[in-house]
Amino acid sequence: MDPEVVKLMAAGLCMGLGAIGPGIGIGILGLGAMNALGRNPEARGPIMTNMILAIAFAEAIAIYALVVAVVLIFVA
Amino acid sequence: MPKRGCLGFSFPVVVGVLLVFLVLFLVSLISGALGNSLFGDLGLPSWLSVPQPALKLPAEVVFHLLGFPITNSIITAWLSIIVLVGICYAVTHRLKLIPTRLQSMLEAALGWLLNFCQEVAGEKNGRRFFPVVATIFLFVITNAWLSLLPGFGSIFVTNTEGEAVHLLKGANTDINLPLALALISFIFVEYWGIRSLGGLRYLRKFVNVSQFFRSVGQLFRGRLRAGISGLFMGIIDIFVGFLEALSELVRIISFTFRLFGNMTAGEMLLLLAIFLIPWVLALPFYGLELLVGLVQALIFGGLTLVFATIAASAHEAEAA
Repeated sequence: MDPEVVKLMAAGLCMGLGAIGPGIGIGILGLGAMNALGRNPEARGPIMTNMILAIAFAEAIAIYALVVAVVLIFVA
Repeated sequence: MPKRGCLGFSFPVVVGVLLVFLVLFLVSLISGALGNSLFGDLGLPSWLSVPQPALKLPAEVVFHLLGFPITNSIITAWLSIIVLVGICYAVTHRLKLIPTRLQSMLEAALGWLLNFCQEVAGEKNGRRFFPVVATIFLFVITNAWLSLLPGFGSIFVTNTEGEAVHLLKGANTDINLPLALALISFIFVEYWGIRSLGGLRYLRKFVNVSQFFRSVGQLFRGRLRAGISGLFMGIIDIFVGFLEALSELVRIISFTFRLFGNMTAGEMLLLLAIFLIPWVLALPFYGLELLVGLVQALIFGGLTLVFATIAASAHEAEAA
């Protein structure tokens, strides 16, 4: 196959597969936060702060996949 | 004409705004890239067409200063510095007891940041970590929001080699700036850890050989079973300490790519939206970019704060 075609396919696969894990992870985080909020609506401040922090960690993995995909398309 | 209803505007004003919006939508649909693929080349004037988004990943050099190449992202970083220093100077060179509007805005922002630091790190540590964390937050958010203004990505100058380059580019999209901030964050976290716990105690978190040597001593004294189990625990402790040291270093890379990736992805998204349907499609993405800039600044500062809190607290409390 053409190297160009393989590069584009690799970029697409990289971003697509790399987004599955963080997507599920962020969903689980949201579930935990909603449960905690339902049990204790007064603790909204710390719950939301910690949820945003944890979501940033999970999203960073998806960003790594995005960076690899962008490098494949534009630089490689 | 009653001013209630329709968000406080009278009905004809709302209809007028919606009409203008509809006309803009139709014009940009026809002249943008979507229209080009749907209707073919209609021969519209060139000022209606948007060039294809070309992302230049290493930032382009605009001129040289004292031997250093000055890229367009450095110019933007200088602009953010000027904006931040300007606002702070304008407020502090005439502080009043009854604050003016700008002074109360700045006081509200800094007060919120100090509150955030003290919530996460405790009273004393929060006040100690506040300057660096607040600087990182304000710098990142100013860079991110400033890059949404018109002029970023549309003003062309010719550089010293004669090519046409952009004059201004979002400072967070050059990978050197997130890397620099991540290095500063790393250095300060280690510094605060060493200052709080004393140099040797802090480094002992990473080189954890106390259990290992204690069990070797037990073996020599003849207590074989306690010695051997302690030996295994000692080896695991050494390994865990090594992993913690490694994760401190990986944090630099993770900080860099989180900020760089978010900002570059946002810029690409905006360029693509402007390319497809020029005036209209970019509006929701501008809102997203505002939110992402705020969240990323909060994440960078907040994670620095959290890691500093962990580093400055005694490790034995965690192991228990």
